[in-house]
Amino acid sequence: MNLRSQIKDQIFTFKSLRDLLAKANEEKSGDALVGLAAETATERVAAKLCLANLQLKDIYENPVIPYENDEVTRLIYDDINTTIYNSISHWTVSELREYILGSKSRQNDLLHISRGLTSEMIAAVAKLMSSMDLVYACKKIKVAAHCNTTIGLPGTLSFRNQSNHPTDNIDGIIAATKDGLSFGCGDAVLGINPVEDNVENYERIMRALIDLKERYEIPTQCTVLAHVSTQMQALKKGIPVDLVFQSVAGTESAHKGFGIDKAMLTEAHEMALKLGAATGPNVMYFETGQGSEVSVDCHHGVDMVTLEARTYGVARHFNPFMVNNVSGFIGPETIFTGKEVIRADLEDLFMGKLHGLPMGIAPCHTNHMKADRDDQEIGTMLAAMAGANFFMGIGGGDDCMLSYQDTSFHDDASIREILGLRPAPEFEKWLEKWGIMEDGKLTDRGGDASIFD
Amino acid sequence: MDKKTEDLIIESVIRQLMETQAQSAENNFRAGPESNSRDSGSSSEPNTLEPMDVIGVENPHNLEALKVMRKTSPARIFMGRCGARQKTASYLNYMADHAAAIDAVLMDVSEQFIADNDLFKVKTVVKDKDEYLMRPDLGRKLSQESKDEILQKGEKGKQVQIIVVDGLSSTSIEANVADAMPALIQGLGTYGITVGRPFFIKYGRVAIMDEVAPLLDCDVVVEFIGERPGLITAESMSAYMAYRPDHNTNESNRTVVSNIHRNGTPPTEAGAHLATLVKKMIDNKASGIKLAALP
Amino acid sequence: MATQSPQILQSVGIDIGTSTTQLVFSRLTLKNIAPGSLVPRFAITDKDVYYKSEIHTTPIDTRNRLDIDKIFDLIQAEFDGAGISPNDVDTGAVIITGETARKENARSISARVAKFSGKFVVATAGGKLEAIIAGKGSGAADLSRREFSIVANADIGGGTSNIGVFKNGKAIDSCCVNVGGRMLQIDKASSRITDISEPMRLVLSDLNLELRKGDRISLDVLRRICQRMSAVILECLGMIDPSALATQLLVTAPLRLNYKTDSFMMSGGVADHVYSPRPNMTLEEATQYNDMGPLLGNELANLCRTEKIPLVKPLETIRATVIGAGAQTVDVSGSTILVDEKLLPFKDIPVAIPFVDGIPMDEATIARQVAQSITSFYESDALEKIAIGLLGEQHFSFTDIQVLARGLLKGLEPLVRKTLPLIIVLESDVGKVLGQTMRALDSQLNIVCLDQLVVAEGDYIDIGKPLAGGTVVPVVIKSLVFETKQVE
Repeated sequence: MNLRSQIKDQIFTFKSLRDLLAKANEEKSGDALVGLAAETATERVAAKLCLANLQLKDIYENPVIPYENDEVTRLIYDDINTTIYNSISHWTVSELREYILGSKSRQNDLLHISRGLTSEMIAAVAKLMSSMDLVYACKKIKVAAHCNTTIGLPGTLSFRNQSNHPTDNIDGIIAATKDGLSFGCGDAVLGINPVEDNVENYERIMRALIDLKERYEIPTQCTVLAHVSTQMQALKKGIPVDLVFQSVAGTESAHKGFGIDKAMLTEAHEMALKLGAATGPNVMYFETGQGSEVSVDCHHGVDMVTLEARTYGVARHFNPFMVNNVSGFIGPETIFTGKEVIRADLEDLFMGKLHGLPMGIAPCHTNHMKADRDDQEIGTMLAAMAGANFFMGIGGGDDCMLSYQDTSFHDDASIREILGLRPAPEFEKWLEKWGIMEDGKLTDRGGDASIFD
Repeated sequence: MDKKTEDLIIESVIRQLMETQAQSAENNFRAGPESNSRDSGSSSEPNTLEPMDVIGVENPHNLEALKVMRKTSPARIFMGRCGARQKTASYLNYMADHAAAIDAVLMDVSEQFIADNDLFKVKTVVKDKDEYLMRPDLGRKLSQESKDEILQKGEKGKQVQIIVVDGLSSTSIEANVADAMPALIQGLGTYGITVGRPFFIKYGRVAIMDEVAPLLDCDVVVEFIGERPGLITAESMSAYMAYRPDHNTNESNRTVVSNIHRNGTPPTEAGAHLATLVKKMIDNKASGIKLAALP
Repeated sequence: MATQSPQILQSVGIDIGTSTTQLVFSRLTLKNIAPGSLVPRFAITDKDVYYKSEIHTTPIDTRNRLDIDKIFDLIQAEFDGAGISPNDVDTGAVIITGETARKENARSISARVAKFSGKFVVATAGGKLEAIIAGKGSGAADLSRREFSIVANADIGGGTSNIGVFKNGKAIDSCCVNVGGRMLQIDKASSRITDISEPMRLVLSDLNLELRKGDRISLDVLRRICQRMSAVILECLGMIDPSALATQLLVTAPLRLNYKTDSFMMSGGVADHVYSPRPNMTLEEATQYNDMGPLLGNELANLCRTEKIPLVKPLETIRATVIGAGAQTVDVSGSTILVDEKLLPFKDIPVAIPFVDGIPMDEATIARQVAQSITSFYESDALEKIAIGLLGEQHFSFTDIQVLARGLLKGLEPLVRKTLPLIIVLESDVGKVLGQTMRALDSQLNIVCLDQLVVAEGDYIDIGKPLAGGTVVPVVIKSLVFETKQVE
């Protein structure tokens, strides 16, 4: 494994593959915070040069966190198809990049090699891509998934109706959810982040969502984004759970910080299939984001992009319905500027798709970052062009409970119009039945939540 | 020091705070910078933002339903649309709220405020706002000069030390401390609890209290700190408290009261409530989840 | 810090009506509904009515008064039946409704029953309160909230009909009219009239009917009476132009009717016959309870059909009032308050409202207006307990609180001198800081300073001992039209 490279008259020697992967990253505050980032722009390019010439087997043979030490590493390696891996192990990362971008490779080809790629290989290739490279590659892959309904079909774009409330007030949640529905938002899921994480509160919110879904016969799925252990209690109690949610990360120790491990996720997945209310087969909803390992101090000296890729390695094991990336949510210590968020969103969308995942994105920001609504909207438009399965939908783009800014109900309807994308088919029929949508566009009734009363 | 002297001191602190507060109202009026567009001096009515609770939906099916539902959530809903986009008024409301949030994060707590509230000012090792935002670890360490100053101007061995920390919203500090702090001091006074001279820490994070308590040998630190601003309000303040915090303290050892602002828990009422909490901490020698678990 | 586990309150509801007497027991869940790091906010989050008594005939003695001994026997038997001791009961209400409320011993009985039945059981009799309680018990209030509409509930009992109107869950209007199923008592075996109530004489004279005790009544005549009374109910609801008779029968002022009612609900004993009318009812069926209740229900149903009035089925009919009394009367204060526990409970404290348009931030003005507001209740040499209600959700700086506290102390000086407690009921969430400030000014004061409650001039307030580890107190505000921040 050659870890030396020369740019002009400067020669760089990288300490390890881990060091090289980190230094090849585009600039992000989280890598700098933990002292992993390249010190100069030239060092960054030197790392990319080195990385481009590594063979996939160099990466395979040097896991960033040893197999024995980390169950996430084990999960990623155990899930690899060795026949496919062996057939491409001699490729350099540069060759992999050019194969992905090449005119001949289509979704099936990419999903085929995907089975032979470890998450670190996918991270490596993302580091050799510009923004348009990432969008170009993303556009080739769109993986559909089915819970009660199907999202991610070609030509569609779906949304999670995320009508959170600062005190979990049911009337407030339902009022805002109706507003979103009237804009055509909610075909991915009606999903609420609870303020209080306990099974009573979970049940209270879930029952309200189910009641709404049943009263208006909405073809969608419901979820309450409590901790997975709370949702398992709910499943045991017989509450009709469609989708089981959990935030996941790229290291075993970060999972420990989240109060989860592979065994718990496996049990939750099995319970969702056995006791849950959904048709399936996809019954899990994961959220991820660059920097979550940094925020709980469990990064093991690995950079944020690589850890994020490993997170997708975890997600694909559980055959999820949706994987949502919220890199912009964590804060300035991991992602500081609008440019950093947009870059992260595109990297994450690409890495998720190349893992064969039904990916969505929440191009978002908090108020203590150097990012604003324009950055958020640019991120949304790019990720939509790149073929994200779904975005969030929030009234006016401001989550009044989580205090961060994300895609609005208005943005949802706009992006469908701009790109000529349609809701999930069953949901579009439902919108037409309520007179909200005609020929894929909002009617005069669109945006009027009182049509439901 | 006996009880009577303490009472006198507390009383005089309250009186001073009230007086300086009254003065600050006048000073603020004069203090506006003249070089920018903030005050045109013209007598014409200024343009104002549309109230947040306006129903923007045109010809709704059931206006009454929208009005009632509007009251159930602070979310930005029922705003109407032009095409699929937001109307101008709701767009400008968003921009104004986001601007307030950005300003709350980036601006500094004014010298005037520090003087008005009879605080003295110290600082962490952070050198500027950007570093403050990207390096939470540095916001938990006092600079050496600051430690010296605290020992020199502060009071050792009191039961309670109040600190005011900018955190992520200077605006919230300026909006709430002048009401919350004297209410807290008064409440502690009625319980006969002693309080050291409050001071301000610039570029601080919550855990800065862990350096303060050992330095001043107090039982409880009450830390007023600016919360990360949202668009609903940039004025929200939290009070973090811990019983004898030090470098072994973790988050579960702290008690927090959040959402202190004029539309949340009013700052005066929060101050009174905190006094009761602090008394409970001192009586039980506990804070955080240990305190919460008590009957 | 707040205790997170909910507290269960045992609540009793007792309804002593013209024809029937009932009890219910319910469990009210009192819970902190504020998320973790916020200042706690307690509310009643769940109301589980788990025991409903039989429907007893109200015992009347030979002098046509409530038979107090028999009423106590009956209540005791139901407590025993439910396996509950009055010592276990935290709260609830005794409500004496309809004609019964006008019986001469009603008020004293209501108070005695309340005292017997639990720690903080309130007594009510008459007024418009029961119309609101019945509308909450029937589900009308909740329906109006769910459907963003205006719903009127008529609770038709033996002697009176109580009409409550609700908009978006809140009571906006109410009235009481003398129309009931037992205003004429008839022996079912002989079809002879055994009693005619006073208001019934007005109905009879309106119809030019001459009936006396002992007369045999025909189905036809009885039907005419019931039709006329049904019309009066619809007149009171504003669905038919009002007649002179309706005005005569009204016990209270009529409904204001400055709104459009979307739907109508009927509860009370007669309501069952409204929702399942019987075609070709015979005289035997009409008088099966020795009165005219079934036929009144039948005729009311017919008239609603003719007048195309949209009737919605209630959750409860005959039990609406008792369930309302048992599960819907008590409220809780804000959770940051200051109370001297040893003073409580208080019952039937009149409320004075010194300021109509906000509180003037001037000590002398506050003192003067507060002092004045008391004098309209009591002569200066005969002071008794009084609560000062401070309305409005205005923002108070710490300086404002100091001014308010000093002004209140000065204005309430006569109470302090008589060592009467200072009872302050605020709408704004500043009860604790105001209480602490008054205490800081004078540590000897007896203070009960509550917040997040809305009271009105002329209200009476009952305040119980603190709950939830001393953070809140239960209160019942008895108003003409009362609405507080109860979680539905």
